[in-house]
Amino acid sequence: MFFITYLRRELRRRMRQAIFIALGLALGIGLVVTVTAASAGVKKAQSDVLKSLYGVGTDVTVTGAAPKPPTPGSGPPKGGQTFQISPAGAQVCNDGKCHSAAGQTIDHLGSASYNPISQSEVAAVSRLKGVRAAAGGLALSDTSITIPKKFGQPGAPLPTPNSFNVQGVDTSHLSLGPLSAGTITSGRSLTSSDAHADVAVVDSGYAKSSKLKVGSTVKVVGHSFKVVGIVAQPQAGSPPQVFIPLARAQALGKAAGKSLKNEVNTIYVKASSAADIPAVQNEIKKLLPSGTVTTASSLASQVTGSLSSTAKLANDLGRWLSILALIAAFAVASLLTMAAVTRRVREFGTLKALGWRSRRIIAQVMGESLVIGIVGGVAGVALGFAGAAIITAVAPQLSATVASATGQQVVSAGGGAARGFSPTVPHTVAVPMSATVTAAAVVAAVVLAVIGGLLAGSFASWRIARLRPADALARVA
Amino acid sequence: MYRLTDVTKLYAKGRQTVPAVRDLTLVIEDGEWLAVQGRTGHGKSTLLNLLGGLDRPTSGTIELDGRNLSRLREDQVTRLRAESIGFIFQTFNLVPTLSAAENVEAALIPLRAGAAERRRRVDVALDSVGLGDRARHLPGEMSGGQQQRAAIARALVKEPKVLLADEPTGNLDEDTRDEIINLLEKLWRERGLTLVLVTHDTAIARRAQRVGVMSKGLLSVHGVAAT
Repeated sequence: MFFITYLRRELRRRMRQAIFIALGLALGIGLVVTVTAASAGVKKAQSDVLKSLYGVGTDVTVTGAAPKPPTPGSGPPKGGQTFQISPAGAQVCNDGKCHSAAGQTIDHLGSASYNPISQSEVAAVSRLKGVRAAAGGLALSDTSITIPKKFGQPGAPLPTPNSFNVQGVDTSHLSLGPLSAGTITSGRSLTSSDAHADVAVVDSGYAKSSKLKVGSTVKVVGHSFKVVGIVAQPQAGSPPQVFIPLARAQALGKAAGKSLKNEVNTIYVKASSAADIPAVQNEIKKLLPSGTVTTASSLASQVTGSLSSTAKLANDLGRWLSILALIAAFAVASLLTMAAVTRRVREFGTLKALGWRSRRIIAQVMGESLVIGIVGGVAGVALGFAGAAIITAVAPQLSATVASATGQQVVSAGGGAARGFSPTVPHTVAVPMSATVTAAAVVAAVVLAVIGGLLAGSFASWRIARLRPADALARVA
Repeated sequence: MYRLTDVTKLYAKGRQTVPAVRDLTLVIEDGEWLAVQGRTGHGKSTLLNLLGGLDRPTSGTIELDGRNLSRLREDQVTRLRAESIGFIFQTFNLVPTLSAAENVEAALIPLRAGAAERRRRVDVALDSVGLGDRARHLPGEMSGGQQQRAAIARALVKEPKVLLADEPTGNLDEDTRDEIINLLEKLWRERGLTLVLVTHDTAIARRAQRVGVMSKGLLSVHGVAAT
């Protein structure tokens, strides 16, 4: 076919220039693909973090309101526990009765992040329109503080809290909640028959660090639970480390000194469809005005650390860099194509003299530009894959941090006005950074390549359309 | 037949207006060979461009077989060139990336002839100019004379009524020049073409039926003064 022959020969004649233009387009498109891949990887990491917070099948999460922080001098709530640190030493007070805490280990299972919600509210939520299923859970922290015997004396070490997260799981709704996001790697998961049993499933990372395996014993506020399974979870800001049946967590946990029997502090909700999520969110807010109702998208802001920074970098800076690179690539392609057309003015004038219409000549030039664009696009996709592979290979692990409360109140009464605070333990986990080239990115790259080629050709075509044959033929070859 | 009536072509050069062709009235009969001589810059090529519809006169009319070229739309003029007018240029103007056969074929593309028909006509055209064995050669692989032969084949493959040649031997040596002029004369006679040939060479001009001389945009035809 004459069109193809002419196109092929012309591209071969200016092979170097064609390669240069294609390379420029490839770099711009490759950057777009790489940034898109990095962004997709970060989004996946964020999604994994969010999934492990609330589980795969959860669309809406309801948590109890955050308790008010203690005011200095207000004292502990009834049944509550406080530490007092003074020049005299450390004291622990329960219900107003205090004794020396030196040499003691204080162990508490509770949550200072969320107030309890009555378990009857879970049933009410499940009956709402648009709700497919609802399950209650208890997100607790087991915090132990060992007070050194010589605490308070000069040179004595300070007490530090040790904490691990405990999740009370509704064993009749295992598809909802954080446990649903994990994969059992050893043993088994909890079952409905474990509802009142002292059994636990342990996070794989925690199991490794604590030297636990199936059959081991893990203690929760001093009570022994048999490990029946090990679960590998997506990296998260604050993944539960020990899963026990909800009824057992209710029996062992305390909130402001009170038992958590028939209480939950988190409700996991599965909507009938994605379209129902906003309506379900609103209905739950009306039903539980004091609770905090969140969806997966609103949780993203709670996660800090380099994961968040990288997400911003990929989305903001990365996007603008890509746009600028593309504009530069398109501009260079257009300029070089225009220059090539200018050099061929005499040739095009001759073709017009032969009776070629402008649009025929334009089609020829556009065809050449399109081929260069497509070559650039293919090379750009390849560069994008390479860039994504490099990011996955060399990018440092990102961190995601969520601060979780220990459930303790500490009042310092020494050297001035009394101060109260609820110590928090930040949970920072490493999140592997990977860049994934999606099918959408490849399609976008091809579309950009075609646009780039057509854009470059269109400027040249405008030149051709305005070309007067007599002027073109008058040019010295 | 060409009929030119009071044709003037003005060009703007900066602030000045330059008359390339002035008040030209001329009739070129079918099958006539008109040679046009003159010094560089006196309007010879402009006249050729006007005859070929590559440019439009500033005033006056140019009729080809009763059709006023200056009144036709651009696509109509282009169609006319595709079907009826062949061009030969001093610098051959072959597309450097296409072979001799493909350059000749380029003239048939606007006529939308089928591939087989194009091949047949290209072969005939190249044979008629003695280039049958050079069909696959690129312009860069041919001598000047061979390139001009290919250009002649390209001009004639569409079997035009009119052949416009602008200094066809200007870039050739003496021997090759004679070859080309002999070829053109032969083809002119065989096909009954209307041939308008611009040349510096008086010897070549004398071979034509009529000779016109362009001087500062005015044409005086041998024996007949243009008004």
